[in-house]
Amino acid sequence: MAPSRTSTVKSKHAANKSGIRNSKTTSKAKSSSDPVSKPKKKEQQSKGVQKLKKGEGRKKRRVYTEKELDIPQLNMITPVGVEKPKGKKKGKVFVDDRESMMTILAMVNADKEGQIESKMMKARQMEEIREARKAEAEKRVEIRKSKLDETKEGLRKKRKRSTGADGGEESVKSEAAAGTKALKKRKSVSFA
Amino acid sequence: MRPLTEQETQTLFAKLANYTGTSLKNLIVPLDNGPNADRFVFRLHQSRCYYVRLSLANLAISVSRDKLLSLGTCLGKFTKSGKFRLHITALPILAEHARYKVWVKANGEMPFLYGGHVVKAHIGRWSEDCPEHQGVVVYSMNDTPLGFGVTARSTQEARRLDPTGITCFRQADCGEYLRDEDTLFATS
Repeated sequence: MAPSRTSTVKSKHAANKSGIRNSKTTSKAKSSSDPVSKPKKKEQQSKGVQKLKKGEGRKKRRVYTEKELDIPQLNMITPVGVEKPKGKKKGKVFVDDRESMMTILAMVNADKEGQIESKMMKARQMEEIREARKAEAEKRVEIRKSKLDETKEGLRKKRKRSTGADGGEESVKSEAAAGTKALKKRKSVSFA
Repeated sequence: MRPLTEQETQTLFAKLANYTGTSLKNLIVPLDNGPNADRFVFRLHQSRCYYVRLSLANLAISVSRDKLLSLGTCLGKFTKSGKFRLHITALPILAEHARYKVWVKANGEMPFLYGGHVVKAHIGRWSEDCPEHQGVVVYSMNDTPLGFGVTARSTQEARRLDPTGITCFRQADCGEYLRDEDTLFATS
């Protein structure tokens, strides 16, 4: 603090009492001889007064240390994991007492119970849907089958009808000529 | 060796609750009604979690960390990502409090103990109303716990499954005592 020193040297009181360099020695000498060291006190007071005088108009500014300012050291981004939360106690918090363990267990159990319940509900719903689909599919198959049967029946009936209509007149003819005609046809088929 | 943190306790209980019912709370009740009754606690040692009597755990603190191999019952280990993996050594505890069970017929025991999944043809009995992907304990027909697994299908769906279909995915079986002998207890 060079400027303050110079000011003390220049100031009246300091000049009158003693030079700054010698002041210590003198005070020491005096203090050694006198039990009460008045001059020293005076000097201190004078210093304070001078400081006040010098700092007139301006308020004394607080000097912040770098730590207090909380500025990042290299002015760069710190990764999330690296930065540690302030004011938090270091280390892990253990759970070893029965009560807290029981509460955690109850929470976990309730959670699991809910999960299982929802799973069961879901499974039941899925099962219902599956059953409904199965029933529907079966119904569809049944309808298709019945339709097919109907058409089959219809065809059969048609055939029977057509054969019945022809049979009235030609039955006698066919019966009469059955043996000879059949034989002739067979021959032609076998040698073709 | 240290007790578990809150997060770790939660992870552990969540895993155990997959296999057990509400009777899980019996794990941590005191052994008698005295004021300073002994009880079971969970201790973490070299990422493995042990279920151990408090009195034994207190004695074990006199053993240096690197010299202490194991204490109590090893339940499993915490992975690096913070999940918990149950070991076959936890089977006695799980079997005691199991919620859903599967009984395997004699012809299915060996395939399971050799590390296979449980197929439908090997199942003798199963718990009713078991949902899909639920932890189950696998027993032999004479009620000896063989291991544990996770159901592949719910009970209703499994009924319709063909005999070669997988009903239960294996998680751990007693065969691991031999197969994983080198790594099951040693920590490297």
